[in-house]
Amino acid sequence: MVDTATQQKWDKAAPLFDLMAGAGAEKRWEPFKRALFSKMDGRVLFAALGTGLDIAVFPPDQNITAIDISPKMLEVAAARIAAYPGDLQAEVMDVHEMTFDDDSFDQIFTSCTFCSVPNPIAGLQSLKRVLRPGGDMYMFEHTGSRYYPFKVMMHLMTYATRLIGPDMNRTTVTNVRAAGFEVLEVNNLFLDVVKTIHARKRM
Amino acid sequence: MDHRLYFVLGDLLANTLVGALIGVLAELIVSTSWNMNVAMLVLMALGMLIAGILSLLIGALLGAMEVMVPVMLTGMVSGMVVGMWAAMAPLSGTTAALIGAVCGFVSVVGVWIVNNAVRGVTTIESSDEPHG
Repeated sequence: MVDTATQQKWDKAAPLFDLMAGAGAEKRWEPFKRALFSKMDGRVLFAALGTGLDIAVFPPDQNITAIDISPKMLEVAAARIAAYPGDLQAEVMDVHEMTFDDDSFDQIFTSCTFCSVPNPIAGLQSLKRVLRPGGDMYMFEHTGSRYYPFKVMMHLMTYATRLIGPDMNRTTVTNVRAAGFEVLEVNNLFLDVVKTIHARKRM
Repeated sequence: MDHRLYFVLGDLLANTLVGALIGVLAELIVSTSWNMNVAMLVLMALGMLIAGILSLLIGALLGAMEVMVPVMLTGMVSGMVVGMWAAMAPLSGTTAALIGAVCGFVSVVGVWIVNNAVRGVTTIESSDEPHG
């Protein structure tokens, strides 16, 4: 059963999402995302697609299945999905309750996804289920910080941002490990807040 | 730090302006009748809160976390310094704005320095984000 509270939150955010998160963040993160997504190969699952801002930096000619909990977000993404030069299928689906078979994908990509998934460890375990053994997961995420005063600031900011969107104080690297993945690399892009994570499902 | 000129200048401008704004606000709120420690704490919290809200607006142009973190630090430092100063001696609005702007400049440069030390591939063990 879909988490309707989360779905409604992101449905509400959809019309203004590109305005708030689009130009500045995407311009700042574009080179890092382009480098990360250039690793796409084989059957790829992308969770969660949102309004499809990331599609602009997907490499062409890939076989990508994308999910998002919000139908309104995918409505905004529709034109970008249609314009992608490759096979990109998008479905409304809760990461906690995916209907894909076990070991369905060679790779999983996320982009600012686990700041928002209500139960991150369960969500990551769900991703692990559909990833083939030995398959890679590449994540572009923002998390809390271990350094003061940033740590306190991220906690305080979360009280406000959680109402309209993401948490700012997630412990995603720890969660990835707790979900049973092998963490191979963490690359801090801005402080220890914005980072890429490369993890693998053990054989 | 981000080496692209748009972001370097944007970060500098955003933080000096927010610092100046919070400085003026602190000068308007605090008078010499305030206890210095109370003024420091109240304006530190208020400065961070207002700067956090402003960072959401500035973020539309300059980014997300890369804006929010230094701008909130700027608000905190500017509110703290100008609030404490205004409790000790009367300040003009111009002086408060100037002090706030300097606080913003120092804050963003401080974040750049910390960022240069922290960014890059980490050892897996040190990449945990333990929370209190």
